[in-house]
This record gives sequence, C-alpha cells and structure tokens, in this order.
Amino acid sequence: MSAIRETAGETLERAASGGVRSAGFVDRALGLLSSVRLGVVLLVLLVLACMAGMLVMQINMEGFDKYFADLTPSQRLLYGALGLFDIYHTWYFNALLLVLSLNIVLSSIDTFPRAWGIVARRKLDASAQWLRGQEQSAVITLEGETAGEVAGRVSAACRSVGLRPRVSEKDGRTFVFAERGAWNRLGAYAVHVALLVIFAGGFLTSQLGHTGQMLLTPGGSASEMTETTFGEGGVPSELKVALPFEVECTDIRQQLLDRDGPISPMNTLNWSTAVRIKDPARGETEALVRLNAPYDYRGYRFFQSSFVSEGKARQITLSVEPEGGGEAQELTVMRDGSAALADGTTLQFLNFFPDFAMQGARVGTASEEYRNPAAAVRVVKPSGETALGYAFGERAAAGPMAGRAVGGYKLRLVDFEKVGASHILSVQKDPGAGVVYVGFVLLTVTLLGVFFFSHQRVWALVEGREGREFEITFGGNANRSKLAFEQRFARVVRAAGGVEASGVKQS
Amino acid sequence: MSSTLKHTAVAVPEIDWKPSGLAAYLPFALAVGGSVVLSLVRLRAGGENFMTDGALMMLGLACYLLAAVFHLTDLYAPSRLFQRLGLWGATAGVFFNAASFGVRWVTAYERELALLTRQGGEMPWAFRYVPFANLYDLSLAFALGAGLTTLLIANKQNFRFLGALSLPLAALILVLARFIGDEIVNLPPVLDSYWRPIHVGTASIAYGVALVCFAVAVVYLLKDGVKTESMAIATSIFSLAVLGTVSRFSVFAPSTFGTYGASTMSGRSSLPLRADVPYVGWMLVLSGLLLAAVVVLFIRYLTSQNEAARRWGQRLLKLSLVAQAGAVAVLMSQIKSMGDVVSRIDSGQYARFGAWLLEQRGMDASQVAALGQLRLERAASEFLQTNGAGLSVSLRSNPVELSALITAAAGTLFVVIFSFRTERLRESLPSLEKIDELMYKTAGITFAGLALLLITGAVWANESWGRYWGWDPKEVGALVAWLTYGAFLHVRISRGWTGRPAAYFALVAFLLIVFTYLGVSYLLPGLHSYA
Repeated sequence: MSAIRETAGETLERAASGGVRSAGFVDRALGLLSSVRLGVVLLVLLVLACMAGMLVMQINMEGFDKYFADLTPSQRLLYGALGLFDIYHTWYFNALLLVLSLNIVLSSIDTFPRAWGIVARRKLDASAQWLRGQEQSAVITLEGETAGEVAGRVSAACRSVGLRPRVSEKDGRTFVFAERGAWNRLGAYAVHVALLVIFAGGFLTSQLGHTGQMLLTPGGSASEMTETTFGEGGVPSELKVALPFEVECTDIRQQLLDRDGPISPMNTLNWSTAVRIKDPARGETEALVRLNAPYDYRGYRFFQSSFVSEGKARQITLSVEPEGGGEAQELTVMRDGSAALADGTTLQFLNFFPDFAMQGARVGTASEEYRNPAAAVRVVKPSGETALGYAFGERAAAGPMAGRAVGGYKLRLVDFEKVGASHILSVQKDPGAGVVYVGFVLLTVTLLGVFFFSHQRVWALVEGREGREFEITFGGNANRSKLAFEQRFARVVRAAGGVEASGVKQS
Repeated sequence: MSSTLKHTAVAVPEIDWKPSGLAAYLPFALAVGGSVVLSLVRLRAGGENFMTDGALMMLGLACYLLAAVFHLTDLYAPSRLFQRLGLWGATAGVFFNAASFGVRWVTAYERELALLTRQGGEMPWAFRYVPFANLYDLSLAFALGAGLTTLLIANKQNFRFLGALSLPLAALILVLARFIGDEIVNLPPVLDSYWRPIHVGTASIAYGVALVCFAVAVVYLLKDGVKTESMAIATSIFSLAVLGTVSRFSVFAPSTFGTYGASTMSGRSSLPLRADVPYVGWMLVLSGLLLAAVVVLFIRYLTSQNEAARRWGQRLLKLSLVAQAGAVAVLMSQIKSMGDVVSRIDSGQYARFGAWLLEQRGMDASQVAALGQLRLERAASEFLQTNGAGLSVSLRSNPVELSALITAAAGTLFVVIFSFRTERLRESLPSLEKIDELMYKTAGITFAGLALLLITGAVWANESWGRYWGWDPKEVGALVAWLTYGAFLHVRISRGWTGRPAAYFALVAFLLIVFTYLGVSYLLPGLHSYA
C-alpha cells in the first residue's frame, strides 16, 4: 500500500490542480472514482450497510417470522421500504460493491505505473542533500585507496545484512545502491487483484449457484433437491430442482458419544449416509457422505445437513430360543435384511419402534425416544410358513406381548445399533466456489507477502576528501517495517565503518 | 525526518536495558514452553491434586493486573526494577493463561475418554478437545493472543509502555471469562472439524493483535496531544451508555428509576427475570449524574477554555470513578449474599416472562399473543411457586452486563490516571512516528489475520454447510471489522487524513471486533450462537 502512498498524493494533486479546469466531466468523474479517499468513503458506507444487516434480522434467518411479527407497523414499513430485511441483495448494496470494484480497478491503474517504475527503474544515484533528508541517514569517514575500493567495502557491508548492492558512477562520483524486497511495492496491487477474483467468484455463485436439501431414508431415493427462497415477510417457498441423476440411500449410521443416550445432535460424534448414485450418463457410483466430509460428484457437492431424530435401529441383535426348550442363539439382523438360524429358519427385520405402544388396534410408537424399544420381525420356516411378531428389550420383558412366541421361537431384543430415521443432505452446485478459492489462496499469499516483508533501500555516496579520506553519505528508506529497517540501516553503517562504530557521525 | 538520529529531549533518565537477538524472545519462549510442559505433566499425572484450569486462569488474571500496575508505575517513575517486574509479571500471566488453556484441553479429553472407553468406542482425535468450543474458551484464547503479542513487543525499549494498557484489557477479557463460567460443554458435532482449531486459533491471534493495536492507538492519541478531557468525554459517554442499557434500561427508565435487577437463573440456564438488587440502582444513578456533569463541564472547558469547569470536571470524574467502582463492588457482594430471590422479583415482569415461558413450552407466538395479560401473569406466578426455590442469582447469570460495568469503570480509571501529570507521561512515551509505525504494524497484522479468519471461516463453512458465505451476523461482524482495518490502511495513505483520523479508525475497528465477539453471540441470532 505504500506504493500508493508515494503516488496517492500526486494523484490527488493532479485532480485538484490544473487538470480540473480544462478537464471534462468524464475526466473529473474518473479522477473521483480512482481516488483513495473515495475508497475510504465506500468502505465506511459498506460497513454501515453491513451493520444495518446485522442489527435487522435478515429474511432467510430462522425465527424471522416471529421477529417480523414483533415489529411495529411503522418499523415494518420503514425497514421494508429501505430493503433492510434483505439488505445484501438490494440494488444499492450491489451498486456499492460495483463502485468499490471500479474504485479498486481505477485507483490501481492510476498508481501502478509509478510503483512499477520504482521496481523496474532503480534510482541508482542521489545527491548528498537528498540522502540527508531520508528517513534514515548517516555520514561517516573512511580511509581507503580509491573511491571504487571504498564503494566495494560499502557493498560488502550491504550484502552482509541482506541487501543486494549495485555500484555505479555518475559525473565522477561513486554511488552504492542496495535494496531488498522491491516486489513488495506491487503487493498491494496483488491484494486488490485477489479481492476482485473473490468478487467475481461471488458473482458467479449468486448467478449460477444452487443449494438445496434432500431427505434420504434407507431404501429410498431422490432425484431432485428442494431449494428454499423467502418472499415478503419471510414466507418461505420451496422450489424443486431436478438433478441429472438419482440418489439412492443404501445405509445410514450414527456414531454416538454415549451409546446409552438419545439420538440428539449433542450426543452425536458424527453421522454418515451411504448412497448409490445412478447416473444415466456414467452408471452407478457408491459414495459415503459424512458430517464435515462432503462428497463431490459431477460438480455437485453432497453435505450432511441434519437428521430426523426419531429413534430407529440400523441392526438388531436377537436372542432366539426354541419354544419347546433348547439352547438360545444370538443373531444379528440388518435393517430390511434377514439372517438364518442353524435349522434353516430365516428372520427378517421389518420395522423398529423406539417407544412401542398399542395405538388402538395398531402398533406404533408413543415417542421418538428409546423408552420401550421393540423390533417387528417375520419368521420364515424352511417349509415356507411365516409368522409375524415382535422382539422386545429388557424393559418390556414382563409386558403382555413380550413372552409370546413367534413361529415357534421366543425372541428377545438383546442389543441394537441406534440411528435416526432419515438424514437430510445439502446439495450444492456452485461454479463460483472454485474461483473464490483461487482468490482466497491469492489473498493469503499476497497479504502475508505485503505485511511481513518490505522494500528497503539504502544509498551511499562516496566522495573523496583530503588524502586517503573518503566521506560516505548514507541514506535509506523502507515502505513499511520501518523499525526493522532502522536496525538494518544502523548495521549497514556499522559494518561499513568496521569495528569503529563510534566513528559514525550521525547528522 | 531522520528519526533515529533525532533525539528529542527526554526528561526521564534513559535506561540502557535492551535485550538483543534471541534474548528478546526469552519471556515468550519461557511462557509458552512452560505452559506446554505443565500441560503434559497434567496429562501424565491426572487431575487429582492438580490445579484446575479455572484456578490457573485466575492466577493469570492476577499476574496480568500486577504486571499492568508495574508497567504503569514505570511510565511515571521509570525504574529498572519496575520494568523487570512488569515484564516478568506479564510473562507469568501468559504462562498461567496458556497453561489454563492446555490443562483445559487435557481435562476435556479425559472427560470423554472415560465414557468412550467404557463402551468400547474409539477415542476421537485430540483436536476434538482443543478448548475452542464456547465463549469462555474463546475469551481465554483472546486474552492469550493479547498476552503473547504484548510479550513480543513490550520488551523492546521503545514500547515498554504497551503492557500498561494491553494487559488491563487482557485482564478484562479474563474477568468476562470468569463470569461466563468454565463448565466444559459437549461439542456440537458440526464443530468437530480440523478447521475449528485453524479458524478459531486465527481468530484469537487476530483479536489479540487487534487489542494491542487498540492500546497503541490510544497511546498515539495521548502522545499526539489529544486532551484527557476529550478522552474523559468519550469514556463518560461510553459509561453512560452502559449504565443506561444494563438491567434492561431499568436504571434511568421513569417507571423503574433507580432500580437494578440482576438476571436470575434456574439451574444453569438464565431466565428473563430480574431480581432487584438493593442500593445498586441508586449508586448507578449517582454515577450517571456525575458522568453527565463531567461531560457538560468538559465540553464547556473545551469550547470556552473555562478553567473552573475543567477543575470541577476533574473532581467529578474522580467521584464518578468511586461511585462506579462502589456500585460494582456492592452489586457483586449483594449477588453473592442474596437469599430469597423470588421475593425480589418485581411482578411487573410477570406478563412478559409468562409469554416467554409459554413459548419455551412450544406454544406459537401468535397463540401466546392471543392470551390475555392475566393468563400470562398466572403462568409466570405458577412457575415461580413451583420452581421458586430453585431460582438463584450469580455472577454467571449475566456475564456481559457485569463485564460492561467493570469495563466502564476501568475506562474512567484510565482517564483519571492519564489526567495525572499528563505532560510527564507524554514525554516518557516514544516519538509519534514510532508509535504510528507500531500502530501500522499491528493493524496490518490484524488486517491479514482477519482476512485469514474470514477465509478459513468461509472454507470451513463451505465444507460443513455447503456455502462459503451466507451473510450470517458473525461472518458480517468479522467482515465489518476487517473492512474498517482496511479503511485504516487507506486513510493512512490519504493526504490530509493521516495521523489522528487513522488512529480513530483503529479504535473503532477494535470496538467492532468486540461487538462481533460478544454482541453477535449475546444479542443477535445466527449460526455462531455457540461462540
């Protein structure tokens, strides 16, 4: 930004002085649009608009309807007329961003040539007076054979502290110019380019991006996603967006913190959905979507968003005891799956009730919690004969239906793996995200480059005095990190003067 | 312009104590290394007979405050002893602060370890337990960021002044943490991502450097000759704003004039019911009147150079400090000793509390609105009859409000301190260019840090929620602070705006950070509601 500092004043002066009288409206407008001051004003306006958006609840936020209902009619009218409920999508907010982008581009074009000049056309010589006027300056006296030899010593001193020296002669005088980090002058422009890339990505996202939701229940499938938009007063409306493929859910799992606890977000470590994507163009693909580990497919990205917390079982473990007596076997059956006993009888796991209850003549669940878990099981004999019944957990063991045998077997629910009823995935198609990421990388690199480095320059004018004495006038400046430069400058002067640092005559 | 070479006449004796090279980083290395060692010892030794993270935090707080006193004393009466005590006090503070963070990490790990291994589950990775889960954790890290930055800067000869301002600010953040309470909470699963330590770690460093930048900006204004009377007007208006808004505007509202209600709690959750705390309301009214008088008198002094107004303003400012500090002290002691909470709850709050209660029980807002006032009041009084015994007030029931009152008093305190021998203080500060350079450096690093904060947040959001930017209030809050630091950087290069205006931008930008850090979590809804 210091490159601008050296040039900004000039720009303002140009805009303020002679140019204006003869310049037309376009020139004046351009002058204003490219000024740093306008940039500051725009930033302040943007901050104010964002603050308004923070303080007034936005239309797409949860609880907006209640917030809207609590406002007085005049507040509703005023905020609504000003677009404050959806300020980030108003014309004036977009216009602000557009003008800011223009300002960034124009002010960069305005000041870049000079910054480039500093980098490309190095100033190799300087008058003693100019050097004494620099941020850092010092005059020392050295003994030597020739000016060239003394300049060599000064060069070595510069090199010893990490500055790249160049010796030149002009009008019979010898100069040493040394610098480091000249590219830092261009850092600010690179930062601005990064910002523009991010803006461009954001624009792509807003124009072409889609984010929707998809509910997946094991065994079910979906070929569209639901996009929610908000209308007047925060009334949501749902838009179905068709996908070019079908997503089939093959399994869902929930990794709990406390396995005896409920299916709640706070008791969950992670959850995952196994899907099979059936694509007419590419065939079938198996994938796993976990929380914080999205899955990418053909420009679509699948995320875990939330889950339906009705208690279900992914698999059950049954204790199966022949009714007429005999040894009990343990058998594990997957959801919608089956397992066989030694005698060829198969058990099918049909349904799961977390809180088993009779609702009239029907079987159902009294709540979503695992209070009275039971599994609906079909027993299929090798003969083809079938029977339908329920396996209960410990708690219901004494209940009326519990002891009842099913197809000649007493069933008991020994264990089960808890899982929610369905998972809700977010589906995103965002061609802008990649561009934004490029901007992020650029911004990170350039910001670190700008603020942790600096362009440091040192000049030394070597002038012969009486006999073997030479007077060396040092001057130097840095565009930032001036405190570090102050130390480096002192080291150069000390190194050039040898051990006799006390010989440094400071002006 | 040759700043090294120009020597301003400094009245104070120059003390030649300038650690060079690696030695300058010794305090930093000792504090960080020591805390890592202590945390590892805690991991090996187990939690029994070991200091808790809460106790370590309190030690850190005490050290910060002590070190701040030494730094301040050194500004007025430079001495090698005070410098050393200040620096090593700060080092000890950072050590305890960092150790508290490390021990908390271990404690959170062990808390889940027992449960998971009992059930035969796998132990998740250790970064799940890094204490970046709620506002307490963030406050601990924020103060640590500020402490570490101070250690890196304050041992440079020119910048010894820094600790005198940045350490009290860090201490204030720890005070807030103390009020929030150090219970370890379960981590919402969406936060269990490797982006969390990256994102929140960036936040605490950026915020910490921003705090230092704020302190430097205040010092810049002081050095630049801003009158302490103007500063007093600013802090008094801040204090008045705090006094006017605490306890739901009750202190100065006509219907409840002179009352202060403390938030009540049922179990661990805060209720929107206030229990009247005796004496405090009137003490706050008195503070407010004194502060208002200070503002009027100092404006009169500044506009017409009226010396009498200045003198009276100074006196009243000191009195207002006593009144504010007294109010805070009485408030804290009353909260701790309050017996029957229910009898102190004014029944005027019943209707609104009843509405809140019914909404909590799942009733629709429109249904609640349809109920009459009497029904709502009855719901509230029934709740109090059955649950009244379980109601309590504590320092934790409204951490932000208590901290705001303390911050307001601290602001007044600093202006009172600055008003004492101001010229001597100005002389002992380094040159304006040096302060400006430090302000620019810290603002630049904050700007880069906030950019990284926004970027890591956006990438994390894109990996977890499927969008990199959603105009969520916390996102916007960080953006607003970043834009303001951006404005600072550009103001600094705009002709005619350099110097003081830039410093004002640095001040405002930090206030916006504090708003993002607290206000968004406590006042505004959104996805970042946990921290």
